Amino acid sequence: MNDICVFSAGAQGIGIVKNIIHIDMNAFFASVEQRADQALRGKAIAVVGSEHRGVILSPSYEARAFGVKTGMMYWEARRACPDIILVSADSAKYSYTCERLIEIWKDFTPLVELFSIDEAFLDVTGCEALFGDPVRIAVQIKERIWLETGLTCSIGIGPNKLLAKLGSDMQKPDGLVLISPDDVTEVLEDLSVKELCGIGPNLTRHLAAMGIHTCGDLGRAPLQQLADRFGIIGERLRNMGLGMDDDPVESMKPVEEGEAKSIGHSMTLDEDCSDIAMIERHILQLSERVGRRLRRGLYSGRTVSLIFRYADFHTFSKQRRLRHAVSHGLDLYAAAQSILRETDLLQPVRLVGVSVSTLERNVVQIPLFVDERKRKSVAEAMDGINDRYGEFTITWGTLAERYRHARVISPAWRPSGDRQY
Amino acid sequence: MAVEINEPINVAAIFSRGIIRPVWFVWNGRQIRIREITFTWKTRAGGACIFHFSVTDGQGLYEICYNAESMGWKLSASKEHG
Repeated sequence: MNDICVFSAGAQGIGIVKNIIHIDMNAFFASVEQRADQALRGKAIAVVGSEHRGVILSPSYEARAFGVKTGMMYWEARRACPDIILVSADSAKYSYTCERLIEIWKDFTPLVELFSIDEAFLDVTGCEALFGDPVRIAVQIKERIWLETGLTCSIGIGPNKLLAKLGSDMQKPDGLVLISPDDVTEVLEDLSVKELCGIGPNLTRHLAAMGIHTCGDLGRAPLQQLADRFGIIGERLRNMGLGMDDDPVESMKPVEEGEAKSIGHSMTLDEDCSDIAMIERHILQLSERVGRRLRRGLYSGRTVSLIFRYADFHTFSKQRRLRHAVSHGLDLYAAAQSILRETDLLQPVRLVGVSVSTLERNVVQIPLFVDERKRKSVAEAMDGINDRYGEFTITWGTLAERYRHARVISPAWRPSGDRQY
Repeated sequence: MAVEINEPINVAAIFSRGIIRPVWFVWNGRQIRIREITFTWKTRAGGACIFHFSVTDGQGLYEICYNAESMGWKLSASKEHG
């Protein structure tokens, strides 16, 4: 483990001083693959959606040293690092490992907020009597993660989420940085605004145009000037420049009830595709998966959207509003298919997606006619079989030789609830 | 590169205090002694809980899995280290 970097201790009048920990798993997917396969350890590797195409999801630190970054295309990564080893993503491994990490974190505090599959905030305020001061807690967490998963993480500790996140970004990999309230001004004074979580390239450019380059500049900027330029986020921006953030750590609910606004799936195809029959098969498979998720969450939806991405990355969607809310895969497919037939595809398709919105929950229309009742019975029987023996154990004949697609874990994935699948 | 196998195999394993530790398995008539379990994870296939083990005999990497419902083992994939 690296040395602990401490921006001294002390107290400042920011109100009740909290102890927030931000944990960032280092190159998470790539590190899991390096743990699983000894031959990959110490080598420049990158986890990718599929070995045939797509983008870099997670480069190892050895690959990052060559300039390989998340989001790069294969050819860009290969140009930066000709010997890079590409490994197909295995989302089951990552989601299970994330669940184990959450179990470890919850042994220290119930206030665990999953920020993404490889990042979390922990509010350890008041946990000192049990586990020691926040630095001791962080050290214990790092040790347990290493012992139980063989992975490393960077931890930032601060009086709020903004500073904790900043701390974890300051020392990678395997870092531990404490930013105490007394040292916030010193740490932020010359720090570029782009280092703050929530300030992206566009905002950085707009701020630079106003002569604001550092967090010190931002904290001193007249509130009125920021409000005139950025509206309601002006005040929040100035607070960020001062290192202030009152966003609480929100613990995960066992089931995220009533939160879904839409449910959808998409897939990047192995090859760019112009074959309508093939695209329709992908849409049927996606519709089935979306339908399963809708029914599992007792949802139905009225608006069906079909998403396309062309080979040149131009992305667009078209939608159809239905008269009745539906949750059956075939109903979704029929709507998506009618959208497809009215769409002139100008280029081969790289990605296709199906999404349902305008959701209703716990609203069921009892089927009135024999055909509808039969279809409902078939769907229930198929759901029962697939629940018992696994997804797509029984499916439509069209999908018998279905496209085997390496599922990439969604950024919205959560260990429980509607986003689990 | 990993090769998908998906074949049932015989495995000697220790089940102790909720932990499963495969020791050796037989594949293609050859007994493969597990030198290290490099990673473990769990999935569900419908109602069945599947325990996955990434294991090595020092020469190759194998992914074996145990279906807790059918109580059967399978070799999912193998990769020879070159």
